[in-house]
Amino acid sequence: MERHTETVALAGNPNAGKTTLFNELTGSSAKVGNYAGATVELKTGFARTPHGRKLQVVDLPGCLSLDGAAPDQQLAKQALLGEVAELDKPDVVLCVLDASNLERHLILALEIIETGIPVILVLNMIDVAESSGLRLDPQALSEELKVPVVPIQANKAKGIVELKQAIRHPLPPAAEATWANEGKPTEARQTKALELCDLAARRPDAHQSTRSDKLDAVLLHPFFGWVFFIGIMFAVFWSIFSFAEVPMGWVESLQGWVSGLVEGAMPEGDLRSLIIDGVIGGVGSVVIFLPQILMLFFFIGLLESSGYMARAAFLMDGLMSRVGLSGKAFLPLLSSYACAIPGIMATRSIDSAKERLVTIFVAPWMSCTARLPVFFLLIPMLLGGSEGGWVQACVLLGIYVLGTLTAFLVARILRGRLGPDEVEQHFMLELPPYRAPQWPYVFKHLAERGWAFLRKAGTVILGIVILLWAAQTYPKSDSEDPAEQLSHSIMGRVSQVIEPVVKPLGFDGRTGTAVLTSFAAREVFNASMFQLFDVEEDPDDEIGSREALRERLASETWDDGTRMFRPLSVISLLLFYIYALQCLPTSAVVAREAGSWKWAVGQFAFMTAFAASASLIVYQVGSLLGF
Amino acid sequence: MPQATAHELENDSLQSLAQATVGCDFHIRFLEGPACDQLRRLGFCETLQVRKLANGRNLICSVCGTRMALSRKLADQVLVAPVPA
Repeated sequence: MERHTETVALAGNPNAGKTTLFNELTGSSAKVGNYAGATVELKTGFARTPHGRKLQVVDLPGCLSLDGAAPDQQLAKQALLGEVAELDKPDVVLCVLDASNLERHLILALEIIETGIPVILVLNMIDVAESSGLRLDPQALSEELKVPVVPIQANKAKGIVELKQAIRHPLPPAAEATWANEGKPTEARQTKALELCDLAARRPDAHQSTRSDKLDAVLLHPFFGWVFFIGIMFAVFWSIFSFAEVPMGWVESLQGWVSGLVEGAMPEGDLRSLIIDGVIGGVGSVVIFLPQILMLFFFIGLLESSGYMARAAFLMDGLMSRVGLSGKAFLPLLSSYACAIPGIMATRSIDSAKERLVTIFVAPWMSCTARLPVFFLLIPMLLGGSEGGWVQACVLLGIYVLGTLTAFLVARILRGRLGPDEVEQHFMLELPPYRAPQWPYVFKHLAERGWAFLRKAGTVILGIVILLWAAQTYPKSDSEDPAEQLSHSIMGRVSQVIEPVVKPLGFDGRTGTAVLTSFAAREVFNASMFQLFDVEEDPDDEIGSREALRERLASETWDDGTRMFRPLSVISLLLFYIYALQCLPTSAVVAREAGSWKWAVGQFAFMTAFAASASLIVYQVGSLLGF
Repeated sequence: MPQATAHELENDSLQSLAQATVGCDFHIRFLEGPACDQLRRLGFCETLQVRKLANGRNLICSVCGTRMALSRKLADQVLVAPVPA
């Protein structure tokens, strides 16, 4: 008979160290950040007690109360009550508390005890508590509440063995909530928490000035705080574009080496063309941007784990409130500059349902890294010359600013239309102490994001690139002329059909086809353009390949002899890519997080129409004005 | 002329956390307003000591060693009295 595997849930306030403990117990690498909202979904793993008994461990999102409005709080409550599909009701709950902050953290623990589930209190960060002069008495706490209490320091794996010993058979019984019938529940829990702290966690002085206070005096200063904030954001983005060149060169060299191997090993023919031009060239034009994506996630992880991200949210609250959002929307929107998917998932920490929907709706307009291949191809065409230079950097910055400002404008309008929340939500945020980043977790998270990107490149993008290659190659014509062959192929015929639709936006049929193919994943645009304009891609020299493509595009003309890719056309194309939602995985995540496909479909339709309208208006008005 | 009760006199001497002076310590006397439950979930309750650290659109205070940022609207619902010197 199969032995029932018991379920242990980790619950507690944000920043209590649940995920650190989860990783210690299960040996896995759940994401950890020193900012509320780092764990936005349930994570499960397995652990063994010292007696060899297997346990399923569930890491719940942090919450201040089980009655909160935010989705992550509701998810935590549902998990504790056994209302989450495919997840057993916990047999025991490890309430992870910040030992230096028991007055607040005990309130949730008391609420969990009231549910009738057996509880073990885990006093984490005992080093911080002791260094702040707190006199902890876990024994007294245990005797008063009638639950096991285990002090630990999860980030140094101290106390883990004792904790595993506490989760032994028989499991501790559920404790009685003796305070539950004494007046209003919230007040009763608070009174009880204060009594317990008087008994077991005496605090010598609640307001010792700490290093974090001294740093906040500068970093949250009304003037200098903003100077540092803008400086840090500028440094992050400048670093990404400067330091990424070296690893991008490594990726290029690797592609060139693989391409050379294939060329040497295979005879000339369709299959070799598919592998070199289609797969290596096509997927390579996307993978080359992996270093920049990783660097942006690295800096976001660094800001989160150090505690600065909470300060950034505090600073940004005033600005965000002018567009109907709060400072809590800052992290999701900042993350969306790397990729909208984790950004949209991070909105679970926003209490207001309507604010959350608005943030989800506008997040794709934070120009994500998937747009970079398109921008790097097109921006030099605006100014002439090759890639690089501070002028082009300013244009790229302008693109980011334009997308962000439009997002804020639409957020303001949409927030107004949705009306006020049923229960007014107020800005409230814990400012955790500044801490040294936990490097193992920062780098493990990077590896996860990098793998997710490569998986997308190896599946969705690879699939599209293969289809593109086939559509461009077949059916073959008898002509030797590449233009004739392309015109005869499926892609050529689609281009002819689509041209009347996209010409008012300044695109010819081939560009329109490339735009169409990039609706599944916008990174594919460059690969499509290489194929549609019959420019060979050198996997060993991506920059040179883009230069060759730009030269080809610059030489293209309409039937009347006018330049096809004059600056106005390029601006029109750039605008389309700034505003269009071209990422099926993002739409899928939006449908899930918004709770309805209507939002995902509506967002897609709105953004597509907006992008097309922006391109149309700019191109037509610009043409009338003689540009 | 009706005499004011000690309770009423005490209430008159209270101020909201939003009005309180930065850098001073206060005792929380009452939580009054529609967001009381939100405040209690954050850990605010009567008799707790709080130090106001910064003012502004959102103010910063320290409660039981934890630094919290609160909107002024929330802080208006926390009535405090200065800690005697």
